[in-house]
Amino acid sequence: MTRLAYLIQEALINMRRNLLVVTGAVLAVFVSLALALGALMVNEIVRVNTLQWQEGTHVIVFLKDTRDGISLDSQLALREQIDGWDVVSSTQYVDQQAAYEEFKELFANTSIVRQVDPSVLPASIRIRLTDITQYRDVTFRLIDEPAVREVVSPGESIDRLSNLSSVLNWLGLGLALIQGAAAVVLISNTIRMAIYARREEVAVMRLVGASNWFIRIPFLIEGMLEGFAGAAVAVFAVWFARRRLGGVDDSIDLFQLTVADGFFLKWALLFLLFGAVAGILGSALGLRRFLKV
Amino acid sequence: MIRLQDVTKVYEGGTVAVRDVGLDVPKGEFLFLVGPSGSGKSTLIRLLLREEQPTRGTIWVAGKDITAMPSWKIPYLRRTIGTVFQDFKLLPNKTVGENVAFALEVLGRPRGVIKTQVNQVLDLVGLEGKADRLPKQLSGGEQQRVSVARAFVNRPPIMLCDEPTGNLDPATSVGIMRLLDRINRTGTTIVMATHDHAIVDAMRRRVVALEAGSVVRDQSTGRYEEGQVSS
Repeated sequence: MTRLAYLIQEALINMRRNLLVVTGAVLAVFVSLALALGALMVNEIVRVNTLQWQEGTHVIVFLKDTRDGISLDSQLALREQIDGWDVVSSTQYVDQQAAYEEFKELFANTSIVRQVDPSVLPASIRIRLTDITQYRDVTFRLIDEPAVREVVSPGESIDRLSNLSSVLNWLGLGLALIQGAAAVVLISNTIRMAIYARREEVAVMRLVGASNWFIRIPFLIEGMLEGFAGAAVAVFAVWFARRRLGGVDDSIDLFQLTVADGFFLKWALLFLLFGAVAGILGSALGLRRFLKV
Repeated sequence: MIRLQDVTKVYEGGTVAVRDVGLDVPKGEFLFLVGPSGSGKSTLIRLLLREEQPTRGTIWVAGKDITAMPSWKIPYLRRTIGTVFQDFKLLPNKTVGENVAFALEVLGRPRGVIKTQVNQVLDLVGLEGKADRLPKQLSGGEQQRVSVARAFVNRPPIMLCDEPTGNLDPATSVGIMRLLDRINRTGTTIVMATHDHAIVDAMRRRVVALEAGSVVRDQSTGRYEEGQVSS
């Protein structure tokens, strides 16, 4: 136990002696990991928001009605037909009255409500698909049905969002990988400078028979502390940004700008762990060349 | 205690530093390695510490073949060998006491033990009351005493000294040699590389002379120069 305390103390003395270099390494790790963690959070925000899209209505079929010579029966028959398709997970029939209620709700604070008569709003079938990317097929099949007035789908926006989501996914992953590698290299550099600063001491240690691990462990501890400190600052910065964005959240209903606590916590812990491991790894890399027996 | 058999060391680039050296140093012996600069004295000492591996041949230290030793065991080899160098190799920002304690700290000795042993060994080498000084506040002779104290604090069976008096004036050198002689009489085997004629001639111990890496003379009580043989 006193031995471990001695080794940790050695690491801290090391770090104090090279405060500037250590600060540089910690800042570098901070910037890399904050960027990577930030990218992850943005990616999650996009995913959550596209998920909301995906969970809503995928295709709306506005129907012709008795004025166009289409009976309620043929409307319902169409719905039954749609229900039978493999790609359809559920449907909902919204009649003219319900459409009007919804309309009133949507435009509650505007004068437009008073000018619109329920009869001008068409009945519709709202379709939810098992796989949202199938919206084109469904549209294609419906577009020539006699009972159909118009088919609309947020599909194109969804396409664009899922594209964005996958681009961000790769970008975030790439960024995290590059930045992670950069953090490892930077720490290894710092450790090399620390070894160089202590080369006399290391030479004497070797001379009096200090074991290899006894010489290495303080440097490994130093690398670990630097990686961990950088990761901790990065996690704090992202947490702070998340809290600030969370405050804005109430005013924007359409796009949710925050991520779940569980998600943040999981990644924060992983990043702290990664910081420490990257520190040890970088340190080991720095030690490899300089500490031959 | 130390045995070399047909040891040859060729450095990269083809320089032959040590050529077919065979040597047997029994326990408790005091041996001078003499010879001009570049004759291979320092290389021999580096070989005994396994700072270098011989190109050919076998070296035994304390009964172990160190040329076949796995690298993780080398620190344990070095714990059985105290070393003293011409340039003292003290850490300038540590006090005298801390410099000596360092040798015990890296072996993981408990703090209390370190404290008593350091004070004890500083008394032995004549540096009582100077534990809190920094090396630069001491004379050359005193600094070398610190280095001897550090080498001896662990009571190693072997001490290797590479020109320990090389930076000291004759009077101070005599003091260091008295110290080494006393350590030798406790049963410690000492191998000392030196240029110092006066010391070798005065001590009248075993002398091994090297020239261009080869042993050219080995006398049980010799002098620095050949022709003044007395054995």
